Amino acid sequence: MPIELHDLRPVLAPLISALCAGGVFVMGTSGRWRAIWSLAAAGLKFVIVWSMLPGTLAGSVYIFRVGEILPGLSIAFRVDAFGLFYALVTATLWVLTTVYALAYMKGSHALKRFFGFFALCISTTVAIAFAENLFTLFLFYELLTVCTYPLVIHDQDAEARRAGRKYLAYTLCGGAVILAGMLLVFHSAGTLSLAEGGILGDVDDHRVLLLIFLTLVGGFGVKAAIMPLHAWLPAAMVAPTPVSALLHAVAVVKAGAFGVVRVLYDVFGVNLLKSLGFATWLGYLAGFTIIAGSIMALRQNRLKARLAWSTISQLSYILLAASLLTPAAALAAIIHLANQAFTKITMFFVAGAIEHNTGKTHIDQLDGIGYRMPWTMAAFTIAGLSFMGVPLLAGFITKWYLSLGALAADSGGFVALMALSGLLNAAYWLPIIYRAYFRETGIPQLREETPWMLLAPIGICAGYVILLGTGAQAPLMPFSLAESAVRLAFGLEGGIP
Amino acid sequence: MSAAAHGLALVVLVPIVGGALIPALFRRFPTAAWGFALASSALTLAISISLIRRLLAEGPFSYAAGGWPPPYGVALHFDRFGAAIAVFSMITLLVLIFSRRYIPAVVPIARIPLYYALVMINLGGMNGFLVTGDLFNLFVFMEVFSVSAYALVAMARGPQAGLAAIKYLLLGAVSSLLVLFAIGLIFAQTGTLNMADAAGRLDAAASIVPTALALGALTIGFMVKAALFPLHVWLPDAHASAPAPVSALLSAVVVKAGVIGIIRTLQTFSDHGSLQLMPLQSLLIWLGAIAVLWGAVAALVQSDLKRLLAYSTVTNIGYIFIGLGIGSATAASGAAVHIINHAVIKAALFLAAGALIHQSGLRHIDDLRGLGERMPLSALALGVALLAVAGVPPTAGFVGKWQIGLGALETGRPLLMGVVIVGGLLVLTYGVRIINTLFFRPPLHVRVVTSREAPPSMLAAILLLAASSFLLGLAGKPMLDFVAPAILPLTDTG
Amino acid sequence: MNVLLTHVDYIAAVAIFLVGLYILLVKQNLLKKILGLNIMETAVFAFIVTAGMTDNGVPPLLGPDAVGPFASPLPHALVLTGIVVAVSITALALALIVRVKRECGSVELNELGKVE
Repeated sequence: MPIELHDLRPVLAPLISALCAGGVFVMGTSGRWRAIWSLAAAGLKFVIVWSMLPGTLAGSVYIFRVGEILPGLSIAFRVDAFGLFYALVTATLWVLTTVYALAYMKGSHALKRFFGFFALCISTTVAIAFAENLFTLFLFYELLTVCTYPLVIHDQDAEARRAGRKYLAYTLCGGAVILAGMLLVFHSAGTLSLAEGGILGDVDDHRVLLLIFLTLVGGFGVKAAIMPLHAWLPAAMVAPTPVSALLHAVAVVKAGAFGVVRVLYDVFGVNLLKSLGFATWLGYLAGFTIIAGSIMALRQNRLKARLAWSTISQLSYILLAASLLTPAAALAAIIHLANQAFTKITMFFVAGAIEHNTGKTHIDQLDGIGYRMPWTMAAFTIAGLSFMGVPLLAGFITKWYLSLGALAADSGGFVALMALSGLLNAAYWLPIIYRAYFRETGIPQLREETPWMLLAPIGICAGYVILLGTGAQAPLMPFSLAESAVRLAFGLEGGIP
Repeated sequence: MSAAAHGLALVVLVPIVGGALIPALFRRFPTAAWGFALASSALTLAISISLIRRLLAEGPFSYAAGGWPPPYGVALHFDRFGAAIAVFSMITLLVLIFSRRYIPAVVPIARIPLYYALVMINLGGMNGFLVTGDLFNLFVFMEVFSVSAYALVAMARGPQAGLAAIKYLLLGAVSSLLVLFAIGLIFAQTGTLNMADAAGRLDAAASIVPTALALGALTIGFMVKAALFPLHVWLPDAHASAPAPVSALLSAVVVKAGVIGIIRTLQTFSDHGSLQLMPLQSLLIWLGAIAVLWGAVAALVQSDLKRLLAYSTVTNIGYIFIGLGIGSATAASGAAVHIINHAVIKAALFLAAGALIHQSGLRHIDDLRGLGERMPLSALALGVALLAVAGVPPTAGFVGKWQIGLGALETGRPLLMGVVIVGGLLVLTYGVRIINTLFFRPPLHVRVVTSREAPPSMLAAILLLAASSFLLGLAGKPMLDFVAPAILPLTDTG
Repeated sequence: MNVLLTHVDYIAAVAIFLVGLYILLVKQNLLKKILGLNIMETAVFAFIVTAGMTDNGVPPLLGPDAVGPFASPLPHALVLTGIVVAVSITALALALIVRVKRECGSVELNELGKVE
C-alpha cells in the first residue's frame, strides 16, 4: 500500500497557476507583465509538479482535502503515480507552449484575455490530474471547457464562432452525461473517490453498471474524440496554433483520455471490467477510430486538419490500450499520453511556424520547405517517423507495449491493426516529408529559419520524442512512474509481465 | 418584555409600519425616502438574524401576539423555514441599495416614496407570511405582499406595465380567493384557524370531501402564486415589464411564497389518515418536470433579456416542485435549499440585467453585443449568475439540482434524473449564448459603445449577489443540514 | 341526497364561485372581469359566514343575561378583514384599468392584444 502524506503541494500547483492567471487579467495590458505572469504560471507549476516526482517514485501519495461542499461530495486532491505522470507531461509541455505562444501571438488582439485563459487552463489541467474523486475531476474538467472556449473563438470571426459553438455543444453535452454518470455512481456506490481497484465492486445490478459505463466513458470520450463523438475537434482547428497544440496535444483531449482511463481503472477496476466485458466494445470502437481517423487524415490537404484527424486516430491508441485490461497494454496507454503529446505538439509547433513564417497552410504548398526551414522540418520528420512506429522513437514504445498487451489479452487482431495503422501513418506523413525535401519548386529556396522563440520549443519537443524512444527507462524519465501506476491499477508486486 | 422577546412581531411590524410611514414622511423630500427604507430594512435584517440565533439555541419557538395564547390568540411561529426571512430581508436590502440610482430614472419623482413604501410593505407581508402560525393571517399577509406586488409591477412606465399588472392582479386575486376558500373549508371542518391545531383535527373531520376540496383549492391557489406550469402564464409579462429591482424581488422572493405555501399545505395535510398525498405529489413531479423543460425551451427562444430571465424562473420553480414532489429527505432538502439559492441567483440575474439595460438603454439580447467590454463587472456578474442558474458546479444552483437528481435516483426514477440534467443543459445553452453575446461579439449598437459601467451603488448590490450565488454553492452541506429538521415532516409522506 | 342537504352551503358557495370564475375567464372586458372577481369574493365570504353558524345560536354579545349557544364570532371578524382586502384589490384594479384605458385606449383584452 502506498504511504499517504498530507501535503500542500497538490493544491498549491493549481492555485499558484490560477493566481498567476489572475495577475495576467489584472496587469495583462502590458506585454511585459503578461509575459512574466504567463511564464510564472507555467514555471512555478513545473517546479512544484517535478518536486513531487521523487516522493511518488518512492511510493508516497500526496493528499490535500479542501472540504466537503455537499454530503459525500468533496473537493480533494491526491497525487498518485498516474496523476503525476499526466501532470508532468502537461507541466513540461506548458512551459514550452507558453514560450511558443508568447512569440506566436505577438500583435494579435485581446491578448490579455488570451493569456489569462491560457494560464487558467494550466491550473485546471493540473487540478484534473490531481483530482482525488470523480467530483473534483468533473469540476475542473468542466472548468477546462469554460477556459478553453475563449481561446477557441479567439479570432471572433464567423468560422471561429461556429467552431466554438460546436466545441461547446459537444463538451457541455458530454459534461451533462458525466454528471448523470456521477449521480449513478454516487447513488450505487455511496462514494465518488477514485481508488485503485475501483469503487463499484459491491454493485450487482448489471443494467446500472452498463449505464454507468456508457455515461462516464461516453462523457469523457467526447473530449477524447472517440468516434462518433469527434466532430468538434477538426472544427476547432480554426483556433490559433498554440491553442490547437493545447487542445490536441496537452490539455483538452488528454483530459478526456485521462478521464476514461481513470473511469476504467479507478471507478470500475480491472477485475470488475474483466468480468463485465464492456471494455471489449470500447476496444472495437477505438480500433475503428484509429483506422477511420487515419483514412480521414489522408484526405486532408490543410496541414492542421491532417494533424487534427491524426490526433483523433492517435488518441484512440490510448483508449484501445486501456480497454485491453492487461498490464503491458495499460503501460502503453499511460506512456502514450506522453508520447502522443510530445510528438503531436512538435507537429503543431512546426505547422504554426510554417504559417507564421511563410503563410502556407496547405500541404501542396510545402514543396521545398525543408530547405527554407531545415531545423524546423527536421523536427517534423522526427515526429512523423515516431508516429509511423520507427524504432528508437517514442511512437515505437507505445506500439511495442500495446502489441504485447494485445497478445496477452488474446486479441492478436489488434496487432495487425497496429501494423495497418503504422502503414496509414506512413501514407500521410511521408508525402509531406517528401515534398519538403525532394520536390523541386523551380525557384531557389532562401533559407528562412523560424525565430528562436518558436524554434526552441520545437527543438526541445523533438528532442523529447527521441529521448522517450531511446532512454525511456533512464532515471527521472516518467517511464518508471507509468510502471508504478500500472502496478497500482493491477495490484501487481513485481515487474510488468 | 424586552424588544428581543417581541422580535417575531417586530420583524413583521417594522417593515410594514416603516413602509406605511414613508409616503407621509417623505412627500416633500422624495429622494430621502431611500435612506429611511434602507434603515428599516437593515433593522428588519438585524432582527431576523437575532431570531435565527435564538432558533439555533432553543429550537422552534412561538409568540402570542397581544399575550393571547393559541388557539385563541394570533400565534406567530418561527421554525427553520422561517429563517428564510433573513435571506429575503437581505435581498430586499440589496434591491433597495440598487434602487437608489435606478428608480429615479424610471419612476416619476413624486412616486418615488410610494415605490419604497411598497417594497417595504412587500417585505413585511413576506415576513408575516413566513412566521404566522395562523391560517387566516396567512391569507392576510399573502394579500399584503400580493397587492404591493401588483402595484410595484405597475410602477414601470409604458403601456405594457399597466396591462401586465392587471393580468397579474386578476390571476393573483383568483388564487388568493381559492386559498381563502380553502381556509374557510378547514375552519368549517375543524373550528380552528391555528395551523398546528387544524392539522391535528382534520383527521377527525366527518367527511373527506370538504377536506379534499380544501387541499385542492390550496394547491391550485399556491401553484398560481408560485407560477408552476401551467399556471405560470402571468409571470413572464409581469416580471419582464416591471422595473428591474421589482423583477428581482418578484422572481427571487414573491414567487417563493407560493412554494412555501405548498410546503405548509403538504405538512398540514400529511397527518391525515385517509387522505393520500401521494397522487398530489406525483402530479407536482409531473408538472415540475414539464415546467423545467417548458421554461427552458421558452427561454431559449426569447430575444428580450428580462423575459428570458422570467422564463428561467419558471424552470427553477419546476425544479423545486420536483424536489418537493419526490419528498425524500435528499430531494426535499435540496428543494428547500434551492428556494434560497435561487432567490439569490435570480436577484443577481435581474439586477445585473437591469444594470446592463439601464446603462445601455437596450434590452434585446442581440443589441447587447460587446457590452462586456464597456461594463465588465456587471457583465461578469451576469455571467456568473447565469452559470449558477444553470447549476454548473460548484455554484449555488448545483446544490439543489444534485440533491433533486439524487433523490430521483433513490426513489427509482432515472428518467426524472434525466429531466433534471437536460433542463440544466438547456439553461446552460442560453446562458452561454448571453455570455457569448456580451463578451465575444463586436458591438452592433452605437449605444453599447457609449455605455459606461453602472454606478457604485448598483454595482455593490450586483457584485455581492453574484459572489453569493457562487459562494453559497460551497456552503451546500451546512445549508442542507440546516433545513433537514424542517423538512422532516414533509418527508414522512414520501 | 342526505349529503347534499347537509352540505348545501358548500354547494351554493362553489356554484357562486364558479359563476364568478366563468365571468372572469370568458369575458374580455376588464371591468367585467373585476365584477366576476367580486362575485367570487362574495361566494367565499358567504361561505365563511355560514361556517360560523350554530343551530339556534344567538349573537355572541356578552352581558348579564346572555345565554348560549352563541354563533361563532370568529368568521365575522374574518369576513370583515376579507372585505377590506377585497375592496383594496378592487380599488387597485380599477385604478389600473383607468391607466390601461388612458394608455392603450381600450379595456377589452382582445383589442389590447392587437395594440401591443
